[in-house]
Amino acid sequence: MMQSSPLNLRRTVVLLGRLFLGATFVYAAYSKILHPTFILHPWFAFKFAVQANLANFAGEVETFKFVSTANAALLAHALPFIELALGLLLLIGWRVRYWLTGVSLLLIVFLSVLTRAYLLRLDIKDCGCFATPEPLNGMTLVRDSVFLAAALLCTYFAFVEARKPHPWAAPS
Amino acid sequence: MSRSYLARLTFALIFLSGALLVGCNSQSQSADNRPASSAAPQTTTGSTMPVSTPAPPHPAETEAAPVQAAPTKASQASAPQIAPAPASTVAGIPDVDPHKTRGSKSAPIVMETFSDFQCPACKQLYLGTSRQLNDNYVATGKVFAIHRDFPLPGHAYSRIAARYGRAAAQLGRLEQVEQVLFENQEKWEQTGDVDGTVASVLSPADMTKIRALIKNPAIDAAIEKDLALGRTYSVNQTPTTIIHYKGQTYPVVGIVSYDVLHQFLDQLLKQ
Repeated sequence: MMQSSPLNLRRTVVLLGRLFLGATFVYAAYSKILHPTFILHPWFAFKFAVQANLANFAGEVETFKFVSTANAALLAHALPFIELALGLLLLIGWRVRYWLTGVSLLLIVFLSVLTRAYLLRLDIKDCGCFATPEPLNGMTLVRDSVFLAAALLCTYFAFVEARKPHPWAAPS
Repeated sequence: MSRSYLARLTFALIFLSGALLVGCNSQSQSADNRPASSAAPQTTTGSTMPVSTPAPPHPAETEAAPVQAAPTKASQASAPQIAPAPASTVAGIPDVDPHKTRGSKSAPIVMETFSDFQCPACKQLYLGTSRQLNDNYVATGKVFAIHRDFPLPGHAYSRIAARYGRAAAQLGRLEQVEQVLFENQEKWEQTGDVDGTVASVLSPADMTKIRALIKNPAIDAAIEKDLALGRTYSVNQTPTTIIHYKGQTYPVVGIVSYDVLHQFLDQLLKQ
């Protein structure tokens, strides 16, 4: 007997959650890789624009003062692509529970770093979250907390649903 | 916890996060969507003022020493007769003030840099990239560099510093003034003492001329022209460098390290 319907509440929540978080992560990655310098053609100019944008993002990471300059550059070159990969995997919907776990962990790290900077009253003029520069303030923390709460809930629901036999699986 | 409660909570959370995301972005994007004349640009590292909020005039700007005050009819009468050089067109780029350029007009690449003396990112670009660029590309005739003033409304002393920069350029002293303003940015942005900072590198005779020149309304008009030109390029952050090459335009926003820039310029020149 099937234990869950094709679209029960938890599945709906996970579906909406992964689409929302996936789109948000893809947009965040796009913002870091292709903004503020946006040149698509020719190839060498595109490469230059991406390099310039990642260098800019490294500067923003450095203002949080939790890693050295070299590590900030390393992080700035890796993070947008991790975000892009996680976002796309969530949108695709394959092994969602694992990628949701990754997103939740990443959001925990983001929130910790932002909260630390906020409490230390660091002068963060651009948190580097999205394309439009925004100073770190209480709203940034609230927004990231909401993202994290949504990610944790979706992760929990995804694991609960994964324990059940798939509704469309052939009966054994 | 009942299922329906969880469901409501989840939908509320997702809706709230979506609304927050849209809200945060629309707040900042609204500045970009406004007519260019009213958009409040910001520094690359972000302005301390919200983008959609016009910065109030800083008390120091209005109560500063008379030499730093906006031009008045009386002051205009006493302004020296050093007329700003007529702006020309170089490689199709309008309003090129010859006093604010470096290099050969026949250079294959033209770089227009929209900069604000009070912007930390502009300082970083100047100290980290521009000097090497001048030595290796401008001095060798590969790049023609144009300095454009783009004082941001969120910076209390940007406009005053731009006036001093413009006035110094008329006397051929832009390099010294640019250097001293960027190198001492943290000091004068606290005190507002742009005049003292500029005076530290110029002779008293030059300072007398500059103090008179900044009262000339043509200086402010030239700054406004640069601002208007920047808006036509959709400049909304400083520093923004517009690279022109063979009719193509490449807008570069923010700080670019010399290593990255020189690779790009070499690739452009190879084309």
